[in-house]
Amino acid sequence: MKGRNIIAASALGALVAAGCGSSGGGTTAGGGSKACKASIGIEAPITGPVAVLGQEQLHFAQLALSLDNKQNKTKITLVQGDTQLDPKQATTATQQLTSNANVLAVVGPAGSQEVEAVGPLFARATMAFISGSATNVTLTQGKYPTFFRVVSNDHVQGMNDANYIVNNLHPKAVMIVDDQEVYSTGLVGFMTPILKAAGITVDHESVSQKLTDFSSLVAKVTPATSVVILPWQVAANAQQFGRNLAQQHKKAVIFGTDGLFSPDAFKIPGSYVSAFGPDITAIPADASLVTAAKKYGSFGTFGPPIFAATHVIDEAIASVCKAGQTPSRSNVLAAIKKTNESTSILGQPISFDSHGDNAHGKFFLFKINSAGKYELIPG
Amino acid sequence: MSLDPQPKAAGPQVGADEWVARQEDRREYLPSWLGSAQRAGERIGWWPRLAVAAVAGLLLPVIGLGGFQLQVGIDALVIAVLAVGLNIVVGWAGLLDLGYVAFFGFGAYGFALLSSSQIGKAGIHLPALLSVPIVMIGAAILGLIVGWPSRRLIGDYLAIVTLFFGEAFVEFTNNVAPKTLGGPNGIISIDPIRSFGYQFTSNESYYYLLVVVLVLTMAVLRLLDTSRTGRAWRAVREDPLAAAAMTIPVNRLKLMAFAFGAMVAALAGTIFAAQQISVFPTNFDTPILILVYAGLILGGAGSIAGAATGALVVMVIYDGLLRSPTDSGYLFYGLILLTLLVKLRPWRRLGLVLAATAAFGFAAHAIAGAISSSAVAGRPASAGWIGSALRDWVIVPANPQIAGNWGFVLLVCMLIALVQMKSWWRTILLVPTLYLACFVWETRLAAEPSITRQLMIGAILIVMMNARPQGLLGERRVEALT
Amino acid sequence: MGFFFQELVNGIVVGALYSLIALGFSMVYGVLKLLNFAHGDLYMVGAFAGYFVIQWFGGSKALTIPVPLLLVIMFVLAAALTGGLGVAIERFAYRPLRNAPRIAPLITAIGISFFLENAALLLFGGQFRIYNTSDFIPFSSGFQIGSVSVDAVQIMVVVLGIALMIALQQLVVRTKLGKQMPAVAADREAAEMLGINVNFTIAATFFLGSALAGVAGVMAGLLFNQVTNTIGFLAGLKAFTAAVVGGIGSLPGAMLGGLLIGMAESFITGYVSSTFTNLLVFGLLIAVMLVRPSGLLGQVQLQKV
Repeated sequence: MKGRNIIAASALGALVAAGCGSSGGGTTAGGGSKACKASIGIEAPITGPVAVLGQEQLHFAQLALSLDNKQNKTKITLVQGDTQLDPKQATTATQQLTSNANVLAVVGPAGSQEVEAVGPLFARATMAFISGSATNVTLTQGKYPTFFRVVSNDHVQGMNDANYIVNNLHPKAVMIVDDQEVYSTGLVGFMTPILKAAGITVDHESVSQKLTDFSSLVAKVTPATSVVILPWQVAANAQQFGRNLAQQHKKAVIFGTDGLFSPDAFKIPGSYVSAFGPDITAIPADASLVTAAKKYGSFGTFGPPIFAATHVIDEAIASVCKAGQTPSRSNVLAAIKKTNESTSILGQPISFDSHGDNAHGKFFLFKINSAGKYELIPG
Repeated sequence: MSLDPQPKAAGPQVGADEWVARQEDRREYLPSWLGSAQRAGERIGWWPRLAVAAVAGLLLPVIGLGGFQLQVGIDALVIAVLAVGLNIVVGWAGLLDLGYVAFFGFGAYGFALLSSSQIGKAGIHLPALLSVPIVMIGAAILGLIVGWPSRRLIGDYLAIVTLFFGEAFVEFTNNVAPKTLGGPNGIISIDPIRSFGYQFTSNESYYYLLVVVLVLTMAVLRLLDTSRTGRAWRAVREDPLAAAAMTIPVNRLKLMAFAFGAMVAALAGTIFAAQQISVFPTNFDTPILILVYAGLILGGAGSIAGAATGALVVMVIYDGLLRSPTDSGYLFYGLILLTLLVKLRPWRRLGLVLAATAAFGFAAHAIAGAISSSAVAGRPASAGWIGSALRDWVIVPANPQIAGNWGFVLLVCMLIALVQMKSWWRTILLVPTLYLACFVWETRLAAEPSITRQLMIGAILIVMMNARPQGLLGERRVEALT
Repeated sequence: MGFFFQELVNGIVVGALYSLIALGFSMVYGVLKLLNFAHGDLYMVGAFAGYFVIQWFGGSKALTIPVPLLLVIMFVLAAALTGGLGVAIERFAYRPLRNAPRIAPLITAIGISFFLENAALLLFGGQFRIYNTSDFIPFSSGFQIGSVSVDAVQIMVVVLGIALMIALQQLVVRTKLGKQMPAVAADREAAEMLGINVNFTIAATFFLGSALAGVAGVMAGLLFNQVTNTIGFLAGLKAFTAAVVGGIGSLPGAMLGGLLIGMAESFITGYVSSTFTNLLVFGLLIAVMLVRPSGLLGQVQLQKV
């Protein structure tokens, strides 16, 4: 009995020692004269309340990596940093990734508030991080020198959307509902003044992202309200909202921002959706990609930008290797700054301005036709 | 009748309760050498043990902690302070407070508002030595307010009200007064703690600060524990009516428990806010509450050292070890082997099971390989030496996902069946179960490290509570349920 | 006026759903004094089960069997599955802790909740699973009075909810099991001495409670259409709230509590503001608790010294 417990205790001790020894980071970074070996990290809400977004981002990153590894003959691996969209966990994940000597750049995090929490950490580590969904305007005002993003910010989208509504839809009253997240409240903040200045009555509501039933809210939609603006992140919730509208025979039209852009999840006929990229299912060049992505299930607007971001980093690492250098955080950062892709999965060129914004961020508007398909509105 | 001191009489003495005096002899100790360690520890005394732990904690960064380990250490220490504070409410006073994290948030937001540019043009920038006590006193008042319903509500009804309060706090900071409280954007650019002429900016400095704060808090609470108030709390926990009959002011003690718990939580909150340089509403949501409770109960509610130890262990495992896929693998295989080691009684049986599992594995792998080459074409998901060692032992199909999923479901069913079985049947069923566990790990679980982390912490919580319900350092108590 | 009735209808429907979940929660609590935090995740399992039944029979657009049969199969299968899961959980995780302090099973329940949620994420992925109820139960099958529209699904939810509650009440009053449950709840040792098979009674209670949660999960899927692994948390929270506000251990109290919460949410969203719905509902419930500390229909506990 005594001997057994001694062995048990020493086994536990050995386990802890092994753990402490290796938790600093994986294998040593290879000199890689032949193969280009590196790791990149991904920070996303892989589990937790918005796992639907994070899983999509993770799968698209994995897809991008496998395609790029095959094409560039590199050996880049992915290290996961789960943030659950919480800035505190994002900090821990960032420390984990920056402490790992192999990780050279990071894709993500998903939320603007997370960027605010981790920006200084990445700057201190001179490590680039590219987000596919953090759209707050304040992030590219020079505070975070190693931050990049492949999508435009709330200012662009909010203004364009509000102006379109005022000029083309001419509503008397609108209801605008935020989902109590930074992305949503930011957009509401941009759109509401423009709508009010045009003399439109604005009913500002707010629901939690966890809510799945909107019948009480939909009952508040008055006959004069012809547009309901939903700057949400979870497209399926908007689909349910649309169903509730139909069920209660309300005539209002849904106007969604890029979080709703999901041909599989949100397809209420007559709705409008704005996006930063065209529908990749409609781009012929992306056909093989779409088939590959389909095996992970339906996707929306969060996957493709992460694909683009991962691709940017992959190309940066490959270019460093091709120049004969060993990839490190600083030279990968420099290579990312010089990114100039003429085309991408998002159908547009990608290059970064001095503050990290995508210099070619374009704005697209779609209308969903009666068959549930997304049609691009020209102009 | 001589005037010499009387020799000790054999029978009972007036005024001396021997049963009470010999109470310490009837302590229950952990078996074998752990019990000897426990007795030795007790001979040393509580204060020297605290001093040893403090020195160990302070010396840890000197041995060398990377950035990530330091961050995990800081997070663990914050949760440890919270657990020690929660111990007052739950462990000593027996009040189930499910809104405890709201006090933590109050402390953090209070400090954020008082020591940043948030309020007014330039903001209030109180020095930490002023703002921290103000925030703590504010939290104590809040604790009194929240505890006030405890006069009328008992047990789970109180739990609900405190739960509401906790949820309401998150809603409040997220939606109300976004200009002042920041809404979902939170408050950023909080001043670092400036005191004693030193500015705490680096993670190392916060680590040391937290170790000092934890040790001081534990010391203060120890003094409280061994005082009349501590004994009164324990009386209230065990039987409030009897305590009231003994003229213990039950309501006042409940309020005091809330107030003290709130103060400790607010203290943790201020340091947390200063260290993160920002606060967000999601920082104070249910996941943190779960971590604090898990730490407190796994360590042993009612014991200060237990609360701190449990919290540190839970956080180091959850936020530290499980975040790294290689460490998760070590933990998984290590815990299985450890359980087998401890649970399988004679050495023969253990050896038999291990040998049988190895043989089963090689046989299964060979058979599967013979049937179809794609069934063994995949590579084990574990990186490093474990993956290469298991290459020819565990079946990994070319398309591991579906097989892994079915294996997972089958594994859960087999584990439940295993619990039902007795003696030899159990040992026989153990062999395929072990192989299936490794199979599921290599095909599915190791390939999804983030999901596996959550699964493992859930499994660890379940298993640890089953193994030792009173927690690591807790004392076994029997509660009268009526 | 139409607005008021629409919100009333919404409130009753959602309230019926909450009541069902709260009933199961309250049953388990009554017997074991256990706050089963994993209850909401059983609801989630039921919802997934219903989804997979729809997919098995051709998917929402091309069903191979008539809709009433589909519904029956969905409910029965979800109930059986979650009931069995509940019994397994009780046997595996809660039985060893029968004599432990009450806070120990709390942590076990949390562990099970983590495990179930993330097992669903692992097995089914993060994407939302959509029932698309309107494909096989069209909106036109409801009726409309003035500006108030009531859907067939909503009617079914309320009717089924009431039927189940009545059935449960009958079970408690008339059957032997129903009489054994309060006996075990009151004093387990005495019940054992009287010849009641305590383990069986507890297992049966768990089965029934979990089955109710499963049925509620299918109902939620039909009503709200989207199912994902995280829906259990909020549902469990509301169930806990409803059960306590109504008086823990009291079945009519759980029903009343659920209805109260559903209506409060509906009316506060409609008449005040959706932003503060949660806050105000919490405030209302705290007020209720302060006025009646044992819950609305709870019995004032006599404490033995």
